[in-house]
Amino acid sequence: MRRKLLAAVGAALALTTALAGCGLGGETPAAGSNTTTSRIPELKADQQVSIVFESYNFGQAGAWTDTFNELIGKFTAAHPNIKVTPQKPQGNSANPATDTIPSIQAQMAAGNPPDVAQLGFSDLDFTINELKAAPLDDLVGKDEVQKNFDGAKYPFAKTARTLGDWGGKTYGVPFVFSTPVLYYNADLFTKAGLDPAKPPKTWSEVEQAALAIKGKTGKEGVYVDCLTKGSKDWCFQSIARSNGGRVISEDRKALSFADGPTVEAVTAMQKMVKSGAMPNRNQQQGTEGFARGDFGMIVESSALQGTFGKGLKENLKSAAMPAFDGKPVVPTNSGASLFVFAKDPAKQRAAWELIKFLTSEEAYTTIATKIGYLPLRTKLVEDPAGLKPWADKNPLIKPNLEQLDRMEPWVSFPGPSYLQIRDGMMSAVENSVFQGADPQSTLKTAQDAAAKLVPEGGR
Amino acid sequence: MTTEGAVDVEQSVGEGSRLRTVGGHAVLIVLSVVCVFPIYWLYATSLRAPGDVYSLSVLPWPLSLEHYADAFAKADILRMLINTTIVAVLTALGQLLVGLLAAYAFAGWKFRFQKLLYLMFVGTWLVPFQVTMMPNYVLLSRLDLLNTLAGVIVPTLCSALGVLMLRQHLLGFPKELLEAARMDGRSSWGILWTVVVPTLRPVLAALGILLAITAWNEYFWPALVLQRSNDVVQLGLRSFMGTEGNDWGPLMATAGLTCLPVFLLYMVLQRHIVNAFVRSGLK
Repeated sequence: MRRKLLAAVGAALALTTALAGCGLGGETPAAGSNTTTSRIPELKADQQVSIVFESYNFGQAGAWTDTFNELIGKFTAAHPNIKVTPQKPQGNSANPATDTIPSIQAQMAAGNPPDVAQLGFSDLDFTINELKAAPLDDLVGKDEVQKNFDGAKYPFAKTARTLGDWGGKTYGVPFVFSTPVLYYNADLFTKAGLDPAKPPKTWSEVEQAALAIKGKTGKEGVYVDCLTKGSKDWCFQSIARSNGGRVISEDRKALSFADGPTVEAVTAMQKMVKSGAMPNRNQQQGTEGFARGDFGMIVESSALQGTFGKGLKENLKSAAMPAFDGKPVVPTNSGASLFVFAKDPAKQRAAWELIKFLTSEEAYTTIATKIGYLPLRTKLVEDPAGLKPWADKNPLIKPNLEQLDRMEPWVSFPGPSYLQIRDGMMSAVENSVFQGADPQSTLKTAQDAAAKLVPEGGR
Repeated sequence: MTTEGAVDVEQSVGEGSRLRTVGGHAVLIVLSVVCVFPIYWLYATSLRAPGDVYSLSVLPWPLSLEHYADAFAKADILRMLINTTIVAVLTALGQLLVGLLAAYAFAGWKFRFQKLLYLMFVGTWLVPFQVTMMPNYVLLSRLDLLNTLAGVIVPTLCSALGVLMLRQHLLGFPKELLEAARMDGRSSWGILWTVVVPTLRPVLAALGILLAITAWNEYFWPALVLQRSNDVVQLGLRSFMGTEGNDWGPLMATAGLTCLPVFLLYMVLQRHIVNAFVRSGLK
């Protein structure tokens, strides 16, 4: 009897400890179970609803905050019954975009998550399976979601429509992103005897051009901002895919970043460091060095185009992501989608109305002209009444727009330890490329260690 | 002969001490340059022309105030500075008041569990902020104090450092003075404000300055509480950093402005501040 009692107390204690260890508190649904959500009713004209919208854009002063505040103002004018409170992710990172997930977790623990949030594609698996973002197809119906993608006049780029999908349902509406772009300094090209009108198209051409720049101008050749832990893995995935590799198998059951094609791609990047075409620099040194005019080329997201433009002015040029000899380039996307976390049907409907507005033709026109983000309704740039005048004045966006057609998604890693997997992989890449470690064995060691973090059976 | 020898010894001792002095000064000069250079670089960058913001030249030329204008255009710097002053002053005053009352009780009376309570008070100093961060955050959420300046101030109102320092000073307070005041018929409350506080004024001033500077520089806690605005200047600084790159010009201009009040406070009250650091044993 006594033994039974002790066993019961022990079991209760173990259960309590296990539950407490989950970390997010009682209000978070258990991992793996899908939220069942029924179709939400339309709001009545006089039904007052308040929602909170969390976006890392509110963390950055200037055009970002001002443009988003302007959009919220326009939305509220069109929907006077919906009050939107904007907020940035809480946290203390220098880059608010890295605080997004911990911020949602902390607010969930306090029982008060935002109703709409802008979250990165690298967090997609975690956002849907752990944070339980609401499936938009269930909330408003698949037709309504697709109707929003089709738009009033200009549909979303085909490759962009499904970036927020999971298991055949749309959870997030892709909002803003870039593909990897080769930016180059036309002045240094000319000084090195290269033709700025003919930028390199392959990695071997990049290496040759970089060595010419270094030899003739004394400046650095190229910086590929895809190869460090700090750069995350969005454009490293593009490098791997462009050589026929993948970082995770298509069924998401096994990691594959130590497979032959990816190792070969990493070795090619390492060769550029060994030949002196690319110096050993971190992300900040690379991006600021390029903006200062100390680098001939950089592979980067268009998010930094404005920063580069301030330093290089008319000498800043752009070209498509370089290819491996004889292989097609596979660009991947950076960026974020909009997700709904509201539980109350009225708030869910208001959240959907906000998402529709923020991804409308009108909003993309404002965002593109005032911040410079790529409009995901790409045909807007052909409309003289839309973004054509802006696109004509900004030829630098061309390679990015063209790459959208053959773009593949930035794949998120599975399970709650997805960031450890990603960081482990990128540390191995960084050690190989910049510290001269053997790519094959370094990536294999990292892959074996990370494999233990992949949920059993994959996801 | 003997005299000449003594002179030689004196000379060599004199030279040795001069060498030591010169060596010491050389080390101090190098250390000063190491300490001052980042601050110089901050102001130099803030005064560069916008096109030169990535320049590595030591002298910023031509000088420009555009980054300051840009900072004021992009962020409400004045409001942030006023808010930060409010937070720093109220936090320091609150911590002084709580510290004074607690220290008065611990030093002036004998009561049960006194030592244990004091140890618990001081023990909170050993608990890292990160441990209490989440419970404090949840509590603020329930009290509806998130995104308010009160939310930044209230959880920091008790400073273990303040209690510890003031208790030490009160223990050394002449008991005869307190006895005399009691015999005059003054209440405990009256003694605190008419006898203890006037005598402790230099200590309170020094500690207050130290606490205000700490509150002024605080970044982590306001970053958690103030999610819907950049109401204090340390958060305003961060708003010039982000996914799209760092906006170094206005960032350095705002950082330069943020340092000024502390510099001014330091210049005016230098003696008190050094005193505060020496008394607290902190560096």
